[in-house]
Amino acid sequence: MTATATSTDRAARDHSAGRSRPPRQIFGRRVVRNRLLVGLVRHATLIAVLTIVLYPLLWMVGASLRPGNEAFGTLNFLTSNPTLENYREGWNFGQLNFSRFFLNSLAVTTLCVIGNVVACSMAAYSFARLNFPFKRIMFALMLGTMLLPYHVTMVPQYVLFNELAWINTILPLTVPKFLATDAFFIFLMVQFIRTLPRDLDDAALLDGCGHVGIFFRVVIPLSLPALGTTALFTFINTWNDFLGPLLYLNRPELWTVTLGLNGFLDATGESAFGPLFAMATLSLAPVVGFFLVAQKLLVEGIATTGLK
Amino acid sequence: MTSTPRPRRLAAMIAAGTCAALLAACTGGTSVGENPSGANSGETVDGTGPVEGSVRLAYWGSGPRIERTQAVADLFLEEHPEVTVEHENADFAPYWERLNVQASSGNMPCLTQTQGRQLNDYTTRGALLPLQPMIDSGAIDVSDIPEDVLDTGRGLDGELYMIPYGAAYDAVVINETLAEEAGVGLPEEGYTWEEFGDYLREAQEGLPEDVKAANLGGGLPNYFIAYVQGTGQDLFDGNQIGFDEQVLVDYWNFWEELRADGVTTTPQQSSEEPDQTEQRYVAQGRVMVDNLPGNALTPAQTTLDGLAPGQQLTSVAAPWGEAGQGNALFTSGFSIPANCDNAATAAAFIDFWINNDVAGQAFASDNGAATNSRHLDQQLEDPELPDEKQHELGLYQEIVEREPVSIVYPPGYQANFEDTFTRHWDSVAFGEASVEEAAHAFYEEVNAALAAESTE
Repeated sequence: MTATATSTDRAARDHSAGRSRPPRQIFGRRVVRNRLLVGLVRHATLIAVLTIVLYPLLWMVGASLRPGNEAFGTLNFLTSNPTLENYREGWNFGQLNFSRFFLNSLAVTTLCVIGNVVACSMAAYSFARLNFPFKRIMFALMLGTMLLPYHVTMVPQYVLFNELAWINTILPLTVPKFLATDAFFIFLMVQFIRTLPRDLDDAALLDGCGHVGIFFRVVIPLSLPALGTTALFTFINTWNDFLGPLLYLNRPELWTVTLGLNGFLDATGESAFGPLFAMATLSLAPVVGFFLVAQKLLVEGIATTGLK
Repeated sequence: MTSTPRPRRLAAMIAAGTCAALLAACTGGTSVGENPSGANSGETVDGTGPVEGSVRLAYWGSGPRIERTQAVADLFLEEHPEVTVEHENADFAPYWERLNVQASSGNMPCLTQTQGRQLNDYTTRGALLPLQPMIDSGAIDVSDIPEDVLDTGRGLDGELYMIPYGAAYDAVVINETLAEEAGVGLPEEGYTWEEFGDYLREAQEGLPEDVKAANLGGGLPNYFIAYVQGTGQDLFDGNQIGFDEQVLVDYWNFWEELRADGVTTTPQQSSEEPDQTEQRYVAQGRVMVDNLPGNALTPAQTTLDGLAPGQQLTSVAAPWGEAGQGNALFTSGFSIPANCDNAATAAAFIDFWINNDVAGQAFASDNGAATNSRHLDQQLEDPELPDEKQHELGLYQEIVEREPVSIVYPPGYQANFEDTFTRHWDSVAFGEASVEEAAHAFYEEVNAALAAESTE
């Protein structure tokens, strides 16, 4: 009661003084002082939502610990007879070891990440900082390539790589990354570099740096968030890429993890679901690890690009 | 830093651009699609020649299938040590995606595994070699393969493009244990669709609450193919549908009546059902009868053993129609593409695969029953053959003895027919269209799509 009386007095006072006051709160202003309770409720809600969202993953981990023929028997992720047999069976994939697939994936992914980061940052610098004839047209063309669906260029690319005799090597998957073909990341970094003040460039120019010097000494150190974002998304996309390796890596020794996982499925016969889930769980580990490491850079990168 | 004057830079760039364009036009290089085997120039490739060099072998499957294929390839390499075989494998769906890209660029493997249903997508584009010259020259011996089975490898023009090595069929899988508890047992040989409906209704009365007698089958293309075969009409006439609309209307009415009587799963349940054998309701003991590929009996039984130990699955032929049995054969085999540069080795490999007895034992009918009848007899006499496999092969023999009609699928079958069929059935099952409307719409859509495919 006292609170209402005070608030109306205050309202009248504010109104006569010409000040605008914040709208009246419906639920009153009593704050829960018990921080332990607040903390508990918050965490409980978050954990509940997280469990619902991540339940498919939990189920998959649970299925990997169940014997193969019980994989689809239940929606529960706990089981009465857990077994590690799936992991052992999946790792010894026929004549090859699954470690071979992990190594292949790692090699392809590392090269792609390096290629994208190096090439896209250089292309972005030239679009953001340099002036050259036809710059606008080329920028528009570059953005235009993002509109092309992958399947339009898939066959001509295959024909090209076939002529170059690059089938059954990792070259078709990695060399394009060194040629800055990913327009999305170029655009991301162009926007980021545009936010950097030109005064730093001028200062470096006065100190005797050419474009190369400005690029390496000023722009790159400041663009680490954008580079981190590029690296992370390239890693995720390349690690999960299925169609590229399917077309170009035909020999089982060259398979990546995605092809290896597909090798457990057999639509026309008996699939090995237990080992499939086991290896799928393992293949999540590098992606999750990379994300945790690059997390801080990622948030900064997304938050500060393209908003100016 | 002084920059060069603009006009001079512009001129330099234009000059560089024109030079590049001229160079690209001038250089020859190998054009894509050139056929080193000479098939383009009119010579027939008859598969004779030295067996040497390297061939690429492409097939679908995983795990056990890969092991068996490699076993056969190794046996071939023992006989021909100067040959190398490179394996390319993937799961069924990605296999075709990759093959399509390879076919567009003239880079198909010399030993390409194909199926009757997709064969004509490649034959109408001239991507495959006709194999009759190889049979005539003696490079491939098909004397042990029944005529009806060999005909499944023919294209629209009647030429043989694929040598089938494994014949699969779709069977009606019945949970024998549940059927006995319901008091109906198994349907008798020669049962018609009408008798099938009565059988299911009788079974439903004796089954527990949560188990349905049949899975809703209106949206299963292979079930429907069995129905059409039974009426004696053709599934396809050239590149258009060959059966009357009334056949489809009757088929869908059959399932709608069963659904109304509560004998089948609901449309919601059947549309949620995943495609994998291990996740089908019949493998989990939730329905008594369903239509599955013949070789799915083994994985289905394995799954059922884990979920409902003691229950036994068995398979019977599809219901008979007025014109005879409903079962059709779905064969897989090898084709040799026109761009193959080592047709002699490829032909020798195919001949080895089909005719060599040790190879037949090693592969053991993993991709459908062996088309070579001598191999089939040998396998049936093997005492170590698992029961389900024994049953599967025995049923295949019975089907072949009744001379099944072979279906020639037009190009575009895989992309158009099956999805359209399921989609229009769903519109009936969920009450959005009447059976006649949906059948008519299906007819128009499929005929238009197939006609468009062939004019490309």
